Amino acid sequence: MDLITKEKHEKYTPLHEIHLKLGARMIEFAGWLMPVQYKSILEEHEIVRTHAGLFDISHMGEFILEGADVIDFLQHLMTNDLKLLEESKSQYSCMCYGNGTVVDDMIYYEETPERFRIIINAGNIRKDFQWLSEHLGTYNVKISDVSAKRCRLALQGPKSDKLLAPLVDSDLSALNRFFFTKCNLNEIPIIIARTGYTGEKGFEISFDIKSVETIWNALQRSGASPIGLGARDTLRLEACYSLYGHEISDTITPIEANIGWVVKEKKGIDFIGKDVLLRQKAEGTSRILVGINLLERGIIRQNYKLFKNGEYIGYVTSGGYSPTLNKTIGLAFIKTEYRAIGTEFEIEIRKKFLKAIVVSTPFYRKKNNK
Amino acid sequence: MDYKLPSELKYTPTHEWVRVENSLIVTGISDYAQHQLGDIVYIELPELGAIFDKGNVIEEIESVKAVSEFLMPLSGEIIEVNEKLANNPELVNSSPYGDGWFVKIKISDPKELEKLLSLDDYQEVIKKDEK
Repeated sequence: MDLITKEKHEKYTPLHEIHLKLGARMIEFAGWLMPVQYKSILEEHEIVRTHAGLFDISHMGEFILEGADVIDFLQHLMTNDLKLLEESKSQYSCMCYGNGTVVDDMIYYEETPERFRIIINAGNIRKDFQWLSEHLGTYNVKISDVSAKRCRLALQGPKSDKLLAPLVDSDLSALNRFFFTKCNLNEIPIIIARTGYTGEKGFEISFDIKSVETIWNALQRSGASPIGLGARDTLRLEACYSLYGHEISDTITPIEANIGWVVKEKKGIDFIGKDVLLRQKAEGTSRILVGINLLERGIIRQNYKLFKNGEYIGYVTSGGYSPTLNKTIGLAFIKTEYRAIGTEFEIEIRKKFLKAIVVSTPFYRKKNNK
Repeated sequence: MDYKLPSELKYTPTHEWVRVENSLIVTGISDYAQHQLGDIVYIELPELGAIFDKGNVIEEIESVKAVSEFLMPLSGEIIEVNEKLANNPELVNSSPYGDGWFVKIKISDPKELEKLLSLDDYQEVIKKDEK
C-alpha cells in the first residue's frame, strides 16, 4: 500500500515540543509541521462536538494595523462593511483582487478605531503582507507582522465556557459572538474572542509567545483535549466554513463560493473588486458552491468531477466522511442551473460513477449556538 | 512507537502482511500501516474470482485523512473477501491481523513467497519509513 508521503516543511509552531510529547502525528501544512491527530481524528471530532477541544492555530498569521486611517484603508480592501463593526468586536471578511477573486479570508478585530488586529491564513502571510503594503498609498497606517511573536489557540466545544471562565479575570458570559476581550489568565495578558471554525461554541485566543507552555497547560489541565488538524477539517466541513485553496482562492470569487453575505454594497465607498462582485451578486454566476451527499458508498475528495447525463458540470472542493452524520459529505462547484436542492448527479471516483445529490447547508448546525 | 508485528507472518515493503495457509494466503495491512492511515472509514473491496498480478491495486482504503491503495502482495485469484469490512472498516484499525483481514488469495506462483520479507526485514522498512 501507499502511505502518505512526508513532505518537506520549514516551520515549527511554539508548541512543537508539546505536540511531540503528547504523541501527535505530525504532517506538513502550508509550510508548517503541524499535528494532524493526537490519537484518532474521529475521537477528537466527537470531543469537540460534545465536550471541549484545544487547537494549536499558531501557524496562522497575525498583523497589527495602526494609524488614523485604518478604517478607511480596510474599507478600501475588504468586501465586508466596517461600519457594522464597533470597538471590541470582530468581523469575518474577504479581501479580493480587482477581478473579484480572493486574496485571502480573515477575521479582523477592532481594538480601537485606530488599531486593528487581523488573523489570516498560514499559507497567505507573505502574500497578504505584500498586498496590504502595496495599497497603503497615502493612508496613515502602519502594518506590523506579529505572527512569530504571538501564539494562537482555539478552545472549541459546548464545555469551553465552563472550562475557561474560572481561569480568567473577565466575565465571559457577557461576551457575545464575534466580540473579544483583553484580560488575564494566570496574570498573563491574553485576548479572548468568541469566534471559531468548528460550528461549536468556543473561543480563539492570542497571547505572547513566551507564555505558551503556561497557557496551553492551564487549558489542558482544565479538561480540554488536544485536537489536530484532521478533526479541524472534518469539523469545519460539517459546519461549511470555507478553506482557502478549496472553496475560495485566487480563481474563485466570494459570490461563487456562496458567501455573498461578506460582500456588502458599501454605498459611497470604492473597494477593490466592487464592480465585479456587486454585478455577480445581482446577476448571479455560471457556477455556485453547493453542499452534496454521496448516495452510494464511498468517499469523495477535492477535485473529483461531477457529471449529469455524461456532461461535466463541476468539481468537489472539499469532501470526506462526516463523523457526526455518518455519511459522505462534500462541497462542490456546480453549474448554477443544477444548484437546486434535490438535484441528482454523478461523481467520478476512480473511473466509477456514483450517485450524489445537492443538499442544504450547513451539514451540521448547533442548536442555541451563542 | 511500538507496533504489533507477529513474527509468524511475512510482510511486503508496501506494508501488507501475509499468512500462508497451504496454497492459500490470507492478507491485510500491518499494524504500522493502520496507525499511519488513522481511522479507516471505507474500503472498496475487489470482486471474487478476479485475478491480479503482484503489485496490482486491488482495494482502495479511505481513512478520514486520505485514500490509500492496497496492493496485491502475491499474484493469484481472489477467492474470499472479508465482507465484514463493508460495514465495519474500523476492524482494520482495531484488529489488523484478526477480524480486519482483507482477502484470501489462491496464489499462482509459489516462488513469489520467497521474496516476502521476514519480520526483521520488515522492521528495517519501518525504521527507514519513520525517518
